[in-house]
This record gives sequence, C-alpha cells and structure tokens, in this order.
Amino acid sequence: MSFDPQPLFFWYRVDPINKFMEAGAIPFWLVVSGMFGLVVLSISILNIFIIHRRAGGRVLVRETAGCISDLSSISLRRVFALTKLTFLEAYRRKALAVFVVFGLLFMFAGWFMGGTGEITNDQVKIYVSFVLRAITWLTLPVVVVLSCFGIPEDIRLRSIHTVVTKPARRLEIVLGRILGFSLIGTVVLVVMSAVGYVWIVRQIPKEAKENGMLTCRVPSYGKLLFLDRSGLPVASGINVGDVWEFQSFIEGATAARAIWKFENVNELALDADGNLNLENRFSAFRSYKGDMKRQLFYDFKFTNPEKQVGPDHKPLSFTTEPREVNEFRGSTDKIPRKLSRIGEANTYDLINDFVTASGSLTVEVSCLDRQQYIGLARPDLFIRKPDQPFWYGYAKATLGIELLLLLVSIISVTASTFLKGPIAALTTTCLLLLGGEASHKFMDDLLIGLMRPEGFKGGGFLESIYRLVTHANLVTELPDNPAVLIMKNFDSMLTVMMYVFKSIIPRLKYFNMSDYVSNGFDVPWNESVVPSLVVTLGYFLPCVLLGYFALRIRELESK
Amino acid sequence: MNNMTTAQANKFVYLCGIVLLLIPIIWLGLPSDGNAGSGGKLSQLRTRYELGESDLGDIDPSGAAMNLVLLGMRGVAVNLLWIDLDNQKNMKRWSEMQAVTESIVRLQPHFDKIWEFNGWNLAYNTSAEWDAVPDRYFWVKAGGKFIKRGVDRNRKSTHLQYHLGNIYQKKIGIADESKYYRKYFLRDPDPKFNNGPDRDFNPDEMDNYLVAKKTFLLAMVKEQTNPQHILDISLFKTSPARCQFDYAVALQKDGLFGEQTREAWQDALNDWTLKYGREFFQVKIQDQVQSIQMEMTRPEIKAVAKSPDDVPKIAAMIEHYRKMVNYYYWRTRGTIESERETSEAHRDLYEGAQLYKKQELAKAQESLLSGMEKMESLLKRKGNESLADENDLNEECLLGVLIWIDIHRLVGEQIPERFPLDWLKAKMEGNAETMNKVNRRLRLLVE
Repeated sequence: MSFDPQPLFFWYRVDPINKFMEAGAIPFWLVVSGMFGLVVLSISILNIFIIHRRAGGRVLVRETAGCISDLSSISLRRVFALTKLTFLEAYRRKALAVFVVFGLLFMFAGWFMGGTGEITNDQVKIYVSFVLRAITWLTLPVVVVLSCFGIPEDIRLRSIHTVVTKPARRLEIVLGRILGFSLIGTVVLVVMSAVGYVWIVRQIPKEAKENGMLTCRVPSYGKLLFLDRSGLPVASGINVGDVWEFQSFIEGATAARAIWKFENVNELALDADGNLNLENRFSAFRSYKGDMKRQLFYDFKFTNPEKQVGPDHKPLSFTTEPREVNEFRGSTDKIPRKLSRIGEANTYDLINDFVTASGSLTVEVSCLDRQQYIGLARPDLFIRKPDQPFWYGYAKATLGIELLLLLVSIISVTASTFLKGPIAALTTTCLLLLGGEASHKFMDDLLIGLMRPEGFKGGGFLESIYRLVTHANLVTELPDNPAVLIMKNFDSMLTVMMYVFKSIIPRLKYFNMSDYVSNGFDVPWNESVVPSLVVTLGYFLPCVLLGYFALRIRELESK
Repeated sequence: MNNMTTAQANKFVYLCGIVLLLIPIIWLGLPSDGNAGSGGKLSQLRTRYELGESDLGDIDPSGAAMNLVLLGMRGVAVNLLWIDLDNQKNMKRWSEMQAVTESIVRLQPHFDKIWEFNGWNLAYNTSAEWDAVPDRYFWVKAGGKFIKRGVDRNRKSTHLQYHLGNIYQKKIGIADESKYYRKYFLRDPDPKFNNGPDRDFNPDEMDNYLVAKKTFLLAMVKEQTNPQHILDISLFKTSPARCQFDYAVALQKDGLFGEQTREAWQDALNDWTLKYGREFFQVKIQDQVQSIQMEMTRPEIKAVAKSPDDVPKIAAMIEHYRKMVNYYYWRTRGTIESERETSEAHRDLYEGAQLYKKQELAKAQESLLSGMEKMESLLKRKGNESLADENDLNEECLLGVLIWIDIHRLVGEQIPERFPLDWLKAKMEGNAETMNKVNRRLRLLVE
C-alpha cells in the first residue's frame, strides 16, 4: 500500500522518536469541544444581557431551565416520527433521482477504464476504487443539499409551525432531521453498493477471481527500525532520489538492515499448512545495471534476543534462502514452522523458539547485492493472516461511506439551524473540502511551525506584517522591546485560536476505506473503522447541542 | 390587465430575439450533405481545413461524448488530470497513472504532444523504474502501443509517426537491455503470446529496426504535407537508412555473417546513397533558395547553379551538410561491410570470442589473429580512415585484440612486439570509457 495505516490512540501516547507525550483523541476532543462550547455560551449569555439588560439574569435562568427540561424529556417515539417525516419529505423532493446519474455512470464506466487489461491486479484496483468513489461522490451531494435546505425551507414556508406547535421539542427536531436525512442517504447507499458489488464481480474476469485477485487480505503490521551500513540505528534508510519519501532504502552487502518487530504473534498467525506467510512489497534500486537477467536478492533473518545458543551465547537466529524482489507486485514468502539451522541436527519451532515471551517476533531484512538497494516502508512487510472474502472488506468500506454520510448530515443540519440553506451548504462543502489529508497537513505544518519554540520562519500574523513593512527578512533578529513582545504574544494567542478552529474541521482520512479494499486488503478496525465511528460520535454530541441551542434561540417567524 | 399586456409583450420580444439569434446559428451550423461546398459556414470551413474528427484520425465516441458533456470545462478537467498524473507518477502508482493518461487522451485526442509525452513517459521513465527486464519491456511496449494509438487517432501527425519510429529504433535497439528487448520484440516474454510477438506492437513479426524503418518511411510521406519541427530536414530524412544500417550491425552482433547480413549492408548502402543521397533539400545560399542533393556531382552542381560564382558556394554547402549527417562515414562503412572480406573479418573476431568462451584457446587464437589481420587491412585501406573513429567497430576490434593478448597470457606465450591492430590498442588506451566498456565485455565472456 502507498500509505501507512496508523491506529487512533484514545488517551495518550509517547512519541517513539522524541519521547514527547501526545494527547489522545478523548482529551483533545474534550478540550476543543469545551473551548468551542465556552465561546458559544459566552456569546449567547452576552447576547441575552445586551437584549434584556437588567432582566437578562432572569431570562438566562428561564432558558437554562428550559434547556434542562428539553434534554430530560426527550422522546424516542417523537424522534422516530420526525425521522419518518424527514424521510418522506426527502423522497417527495425526488432525492432518489440520483439513481439516474448512477445508472448512466455505470453504463459508460467500462468505456473509460479499459487499457489496463494486461495487469489484472491493477484492473481490480481501478474498478473497486471507481465504484466506491462514485458512490461517495453521488450520495454526498444529495445528503448535503437535503440536510442544508430542510430546516431553512421549513422556516421559510412556515411549515415548521405545524411541528413546533405539537409537543415536539426542538432537540427532537434536530435529531429527527439528522436521522431522517441519514436514512435516505443509507437507502441510496445500500442500493448503490449492492449494484456496485455486482458490477465489480461481473467486470473481473473469472480467471482473476480464481487466482484470488478479488480478495481481502488481513495484514498484521509491525514496527520498523533501521540500521545504517555500519550497523548503527537510524530513523530511516537512504533516500535514493525519489520525490516520494514513503520508502527508504537499505544498501546491499553491508550491515544495513530493516528490522520489523511484530507483536502478538502466536499460532493463529499461521496458515492451514502451518506456514507463516510474510508478504512484502519491496522495491529495488540499482546504482548500476549489474546482472540484468535476475532481480535483486533479499533475505529474512529471524532472531530471538531472549534465547541464546552455542558456546558464545549468541541470540538464536535463522536466515532464510535468498529471495528475488518482485517489484511493484509483491510476493508472499511461506516460512515453515520447523526451521533447521546449518550445521545443527535439531530443528527449531518458529512460534515456540523465535517468538519472545511477550509475543514479539523480530524479522531482519537485508539486501544481498553489493552497491544495490532495496526500498521499504513499514506497511511493506506484514504477516498475512488467513484471508477474508471480498464482500467483507467491501461491506466495511460501505460502512465508512455510511459514517461519512452521517457526519455530513450532522454538520449540515447543525449549520442549517442558524444559517440559510445556501450558506449552510457552502459551509458544509468547505468543511468537507478542508477535511482532506492534504489540507490538514498544510494547516498542521503551518500551525506546528508557528507553535515550535523557535517559531516559524517569519513569525505569525502581526510579525509577518511587521517584517514586510520594515523589509526585514525571515531570519533578521527583531528588536528586544515591549512592542515586539506584545506582538509575539498576540501572534501566539491567535495561533492557539487558529488551532482550536482548525480542530473543528473534520479529519476525513479515516473514512476513506476504498484504498484498503481496492488494494485487496481488509479494512482494519483500529486504523479505520473505529476512528471513523469515534470521529462521527465526536461531532454528534456537540453538533446536536449546538443545533438545538441555535433553533431554540432562533426567531422562527423570520425568513 | 395592463401588467399582463406588458408581460405578454415582453415574452413576444424575447421570442423574436430567440428566433433572430437562431438564424445565424442555423446558418453557421448547417450540416453538410456530403458534397463539397455544401452545409453551413462551419461545415465548409471544417471541410476546407480538414478539421473533422474523421479527417484527423480514428473516432473515439466516448471521448467525443465526454468533451460534449464537459462543455467548456475540458481545459480545467485536463489540468486536474495532469496534476493527478504527476502525483501518481511520483508515488509510483503505475496502473492509476495509465488510467489517468487514458482519460487525458480521451479529452484531448488531437493534441499530439500529449501522446508523445505520455508514450515517452511510459516507455522511458516508467519502464526504468521496474527491476525485471520483462517488466521493463512491458512498459516500453505500453509506451510504444500508446504512441501507435496516437498515430491512428492523428493520421496526419508527422511528429507522432517519427516518435513511434524512435521507440522501435532507439528504445528497443539502443537501450542497455536491447539484447533482451530485441529478442522479446519477436518472442514476447508474456506467456499469453505463446512465444510469438505481441501483434499490437509488432504485427508483421519483423525485426525492430525494419519496423522502425517502415515507420520512418511513413513519417517521410507525411512530412510532405505536414512539415515536421523536430530536426533539420537533412537529419530527419536519414532515419530510414540509419535503421537499415542498425539492422545490419545488429545481425553482426547476433553472430550472423552470411549472405543475409551482406544483403542488409547492401540495402543500407542503397538506401543511403541512392535514396537519401538523391533526396532534394532546399537550402538558403545568400538569400537564394537552392535545391541540393548529398550525392550531387560537379556537373550536376554546375547544371543547377544560376551563375558560375554559385558553383563553389553550392559545393561548400553540400560538403557542410555531408559532414553534418556523417555522410562519408556511412557511405564508406556501407561499401566495405557489403564486401565478403569484411564479413569474414567480423566472423573471425566473433568466432574467436565464442571459442575463447568455450576455452578452446588454440582455435580462438588463430581465428582472432585472422580477424585482426583482415580488419587491419580494411582500416588501413585508402579512403577508410574515418572508420577508425567509429565506436562500435573500435570496440569490436579492441575486444578481439584483448582476448588475443589474454590467450597469450593464459598459455604462457610471449606477446609479440608488433601485431595487427596494435596501433588501435595504443590509441584506445587513452580512452578510459571505451577501455572500461571493452574490459567489462571481456569479463562477461569469462563469467
């Protein structure tokens, strides 16, 4: 895979390189939601006191009591009734017309995806990623438009009065809307996914299916460490000049190694024949052409530092036969459970002798060709556990789209409680566009750069303006006076605020599960499904409260 | 009531406006009935400048439909696809890159630079990223087939036709892996071709240089109506003959020295002197356009010169062009290689190397000495001086000499003070690059 799946950590983690402790998702969520909630509450209370002046205190107490009453007397029956109402309303607005576009797309999809007939694995990749992307990009706009225009339209047409005059709480309206729009999205999604699945299965040649190309591999990833050509630990291997720095390289016939440590290795990791399947996707880089008749060689060395053997009490190790790199296609090496070391009569058991007491298995990879290099990244070697059927991974990817629809519905309905339809749609679209990994990385780089002790080159908002006006370049020292100190402090404050606001933008990378399935992998729970669920839930509570609050203080007579 | 009348009047005015605007649109866009000069203005212009989709090349209905659906956003869509393509190339996602390339050419099928760039990208850059030679060949082929499709879609493009020839000639014939590529061109490593060629790439089961020659000849035909802007025309037109020379050299490298190889050299000589040598080129001599030929004799120059003063100027210009295209060298090479004696010299050197490989040292020594003597006599012959500067020939001779010396060392014989081609060895010792190359070939023979 061309990316490294990382699990979401809930409470905290210690950075392996600089040993800093990083806050996990839950404390982070609490801080950001709390700060955001505080800002909203402060503005609201201030607003009440500006409007009602001396009676502000009384109004505040009354409103608070009302809120508590609404929250405590929520009725699931009414929520479901509103959900049904929303669903029917969306149906009447011809939301299902999206199937026409879907049908057209799939009728002509084959025209645009030919030309790769000779590499069947890639064919599968293109078909699967097309189906999942098409479904995502067709259902998302439907849910955004419906959710953003629902409440504002009700207010404009005054049909909301027929609801609010009934014993329905505004909180229930928000919940009913979110669930209703998600439901229509779900119906569309289920139908499209089913059609998409059949389409993929029909497009893939029978031979390819029989060769296991439409599969769902279950990988177990390890931690990767590097040794340089002298055998000293380094953060990464060599860069051979690739623009993309995902893989780094180890030099052949030197002490350079890539060392993987797999945790929780036990007999369940073995296949039915008792072999350990190590799948790799190493790449080769030649500093000279060398022998062109063969590919570069690598080998595996299994070591157990806890078990010493021989007269010199060296850690137990076993080195495999040399194997050829199968670049860009990858290969699976079956390591038998019983291993025989050269010159020893007895055999060793891979699980009992090479796995440590804590369940860790160490695998060293080396390149065997002098002056040639092998490129690797953490996900490029993994233990392949028994495969799951393709539909299993596909269903999980569909669940990812479903969670995304739910998240979009939550954000859209919340935005529509205090904004007009088009503005709410624009807000949601902007949040979605900014939610991509590239924009998050850009914002992170900017903010983390600004928040570093030495500061970002050129400083923050005011400092940059100051430097521009005074023609001071990025590294010129600024004078040490109170004005500069105030300016820098103001910039720091602004940066923290920006960080809070940036954190409100959803991080959508977890929801994109199509890359796993299209590459023939199972969607991992810890790295993708659970984080998507946590992010959705993380938005659910604050958004519902904000939506309710906005609808409660909103004058429903105004259009 | 008054309001209604105004609204109706407005609608009537709009209707009239629409009808009025429709008239020029219909006049402009009226389809042709198939006869020359028929149809609307646009149709007439399209016919006159041969801009119809079917005039340009094969029609791709999906691409045409896509262009129509995108309305005016084709440029934007193509830009986004190019950004994608670049990222995918950097991230080594080859199959996605190929799929995006397909989308780009569907949107801009008649922009020949796209075909050229992406074909080159696949054949040269993508292939180099793969480690196994059959994989590299797959991508070379993918690039070649891509440009071939571009040629079909743009039948008038001289540039694409020429670049396709380049893939056949240079990428397959001159790459480091050419030994394998040339073999794969006739017997594809992909099992689905049953030990035959990929007929999409080599439909006639011919040698790559002969396919290249055929392709270049088509480029020469297209050039007459659609001028090229790649090379000076005198260099551009050397391509078919140079392919024939390369073919003859390749036969020798493959160890074939019989009639077939001599015929190949004879064809090359004919292509060079009788076809290319008799091509007319327009050159400017002091603001006057003059037609010249590489094989022009003094009487012919006199016949075309407008005044006696022009004769030396035209002769000088011809000489200048001959030097530019290395005309004399190839003519001499073609002449001597067509001779039986040269062919035997090559055979002796080749067989000597093969015997050395088999460790039949006495026979190898004899064969090599014979080859060296014949080569010595050829290179020393009057008029053949320029051959001594030719890399391939130098390397071949030097390898023979080095093997011959090594055999002396192995059998414990004293190397004579003077031996055939000793002057060439002395000259080449100052050329580290050639020496390294030849020493490597020598090592490979032993290994």
